[in-house]
Amino acid sequence: MTIDAHTGVPAGSSALEAETQRVGHSIAGALPPAARHPIQALDGKAMQLASADQELKAALFRFVDVVPACRSMDDLARHLTGFLHEVKHPPAPLSVAMRMADSRAGRAALGAAAAAGVRHMAHRFIVGEDPRAALPVLRDAWKRGVAPSVDLLGEATVTPREADDYASRCAEALTTLTAATAQWPTRPRLEGDSHGVIPRANLSVKISALTPLLRPHAPERGQADAAERLRPLLRQAREAGAHLHIDSESLDTRDAVLDLALRLLAEPEFAAGPSAGIVLQAYLRDSPQMLHRVLNWARDAGKSRAQPLTVRLVKGAYWDHEMVQARQHGWEVPVFDAKADCDANFEDLTRRLIDANGLVRVAVASHNLRSLAHAVAYNRLRGGTDADLELQVLKGLGDGLAEALAGCELRVRAYCPVGDLVAGMAYLVRRLLENTANDSFLHDQAAGVPLDDLLSAPTPSHVLAGRP
Amino acid sequence: MKPFSNEPVLELRRADVRAELASALAESDGRGPVRVPVWIGEDRREGDELISTDPGQPDRVVAVAACASAGEVDEALRRAGEGAGKWARTPAGERARILLAAARGLRARRTRAAALAVRECAKPWPEADADVCEAIDFLEYYARGAIELAQGAPLLQVPGEHNDLRWLPRGIAAVISPWNFPIAIPCGMVAAALATGNSVVLKPAEQAPGCAQLLCEVLREAGVPADVLALLPGEGAVGAALVRDPRVHIIAFTGSAAVGLEIWRTAAETPPGQKHLKRVIAEMGGKNCVLVDADADLDEVVPAMLNSAFGYAGQKCSAAARLLCHESVHDVLVERLAGAITTLQVGQAQNLATDVPPVIEQAAQERVSAYRDKARAEGRLVEGAPVPAAGWFAPPALAAELPAESSILSEEIFGPLLAVERVRDISDACDRVDASPFALTGGLFSRNPDTVEYVAGRLPVGNLYVNREITGAMVGRQPFGGNRLSGTGTKAGGPGYLLQFVEPRTVTENTVRHGLVV
Repeated sequence: MTIDAHTGVPAGSSALEAETQRVGHSIAGALPPAARHPIQALDGKAMQLASADQELKAALFRFVDVVPACRSMDDLARHLTGFLHEVKHPPAPLSVAMRMADSRAGRAALGAAAAAGVRHMAHRFIVGEDPRAALPVLRDAWKRGVAPSVDLLGEATVTPREADDYASRCAEALTTLTAATAQWPTRPRLEGDSHGVIPRANLSVKISALTPLLRPHAPERGQADAAERLRPLLRQAREAGAHLHIDSESLDTRDAVLDLALRLLAEPEFAAGPSAGIVLQAYLRDSPQMLHRVLNWARDAGKSRAQPLTVRLVKGAYWDHEMVQARQHGWEVPVFDAKADCDANFEDLTRRLIDANGLVRVAVASHNLRSLAHAVAYNRLRGGTDADLELQVLKGLGDGLAEALAGCELRVRAYCPVGDLVAGMAYLVRRLLENTANDSFLHDQAAGVPLDDLLSAPTPSHVLAGRP
Repeated sequence: MKPFSNEPVLELRRADVRAELASALAESDGRGPVRVPVWIGEDRREGDELISTDPGQPDRVVAVAACASAGEVDEALRRAGEGAGKWARTPAGERARILLAAARGLRARRTRAAALAVRECAKPWPEADADVCEAIDFLEYYARGAIELAQGAPLLQVPGEHNDLRWLPRGIAAVISPWNFPIAIPCGMVAAALATGNSVVLKPAEQAPGCAQLLCEVLREAGVPADVLALLPGEGAVGAALVRDPRVHIIAFTGSAAVGLEIWRTAAETPPGQKHLKRVIAEMGGKNCVLVDADADLDEVVPAMLNSAFGYAGQKCSAAARLLCHESVHDVLVERLAGAITTLQVGQAQNLATDVPPVIEQAAQERVSAYRDKARAEGRLVEGAPVPAAGWFAPPALAAELPAESSILSEEIFGPLLAVERVRDISDACDRVDASPFALTGGLFSRNPDTVEYVAGRLPVGNLYVNREITGAMVGRQPFGGNRLSGTGTKAGGPGYLLQFVEPRTVTENTVRHGLVV
């Protein structure tokens, strides 16, 4: 057991553990019953089917991935059956689907049904075609106590023009969100903490979309090019009083993105604003060192800024990519391979962030009830107020959870991707992977694992192995 | 022995790893030009007949080499003949041990070797590092392969006889290597010949004698006997003399189709006194095509094509030269590629931000430039950013809307020029690829499993890559080599490669004496 030097709240203390359980149970009690969301329950069934059979899962993902590139219903059906032929033991409904594909009329019907299925699934995760179209959903969530962060989905940026297009879409989104959110009703819980006012308009941006030049082995050129497009967005956000969040992607660009964000935010012209944030990915083994860097920056270069940096703690969405890339190149795997290690690290980082909440704004993003409950419990035991802790979920994956958190009067924000189907597919596939991973919290929850098990403290592998 | 695994390339996304490269280059530059001798046995005759320069800064001398004379070719072959017998009798395990020691030696000199490739061949760091790793892989892979080969092959055994299939060295291997993988390719061919018990005379490309010298030093230090490996720097005449010589048993060649075919013809001669057929292992040119179907993910096609067509300025035998694109996505893809090539930075190989380094020499620069002029006249040419004036730079370029009979679509250009064609469908694309005499690498972007199977069945290529870039074959993972006029179909870094370097012998013994099995 470690005892935090600053607060005296022991990391694994019985007080923290008891509070975590209490908070966890109260959030769980506020979760909406699945029966109230029959459509989600239906999707859940499909997810369950997919996660039970690796081949079926692969077929489903490959199909979802190719949908936007298919030219006709016939083409769609041919792709679908092509993938399903690779499933050795197709469940009965799929055998029917494959027989349908034998005729042209059958393929048209199958293609139409499958396209509708994917579109339905996409709408669960993607709020609208563009920010304007998304406004009713965002406003509705706001009214129910869930703040949004909008993320603009897009194709990969490979040309300067595509980078310019993304930057202007971001600028438009800021304008749209600023104007629209000004009309929203007051929700004090979502609009302020002990640091002051929290902007209503909140946009997440990706550096890799702001430049076609981001090369992992030569980050400087891409950083310089992205800076040319990021600075105007920062200025606009400052003038509009909006929040701009710099997302993280894979480790290939992690350092480049963080360096650029921290460098620009320390420039004198941004001392007065905007409110801005970065992301810390807990699945990376070196994430504690990254947090150390960020906190040093906040103490030093970031100290003169009027608005504290927001640090969004996430597990990380590129686990498979990092694993595959490292194995293919013979590199040390940069991510935790055991879920419990990652969860334990997430909790360590949570506590360190909350300890530092005089320097930074803390946002804990997770669908793991235990991780969220632990954050809330630690913050309370340390004497903090709930207002000083933001909890984040993904639209589509964490809707019920967001509702429950809001019901418990906690400050919650949903990450809301906006964009068309073509642009959203890479995102959608990643979310589906996350949702059907056998070791995910959502999987366990859907499989009916008892609440007390879901809320139990993660046991790191070195503890299981009896090592100190 | 540990099972084979690929040598990990440097993790250049980490700043501390990148920081080491600058000092490695400074150290390499500090040594001054490499002196490359004609190296036969213990004799090292230095000279300055060949000057190897940095293609990006042609006034920088990287290596000063002697050029082997006719007499030295003769002497090298005589010594190789003397060394061959003892080396052939050395147990495979011992030969493998020496190759593994060479792998360690090269590993210890990784950044120095890569720095030399950066300077001598203008290989950008990531690719220079990969070149050294591949060389290490060849040593490790063929060492294991030779041990396995020495076990022989299982044969059917019946009572009263004992059958044994074994493989023996052929004798002397002449290795003629190119400059574009200045360490890996000579290393692979030399290691295969040595592992199987042949003695080797290496004639490296005149553009890359320094890298060859480093390789030979590593091998000699590891314990390869002096009369089993000779280094003969020189120009075409040295290679031609080796190919003609009746004492040579194996010719292992990687280079252009023209030279390869000439070797194939010459090696077929059996002058009086020559008691064997020469075995030619040739890896030649390509005109590599990538097919893009309507259902391809263009987000992946664009970066993969930039790497495949313009990485190392298109000077890999596996590089993409033609992009055959379904008519429904042709215009979108051309527009995205045209925008994307403007993002490529043309510059010095040692600069990590460089995407496209210079081509190897002035003649190459002029050749590529002539093809660009032709593309401009015949169709539409999109060029990347302007290039530095000094050095043999060529801008990355995209040629579209060319007439079907254009030589740009059939001749190997070996430079940063990619031709894009519009095809009706994938079957049309396969017909066009099938019309080419080259069949080295090929690529396909499609997300339909039926299309993948169809194309895998129809393309004649030696290496087909699906939904990824078409360069970067890894030892043990993508055995590499082309078919048709692209090569003899042998697969470097694959399970059958060593069989090209040995002669089979079956020994059958009658084990029945006086009616009894003994």
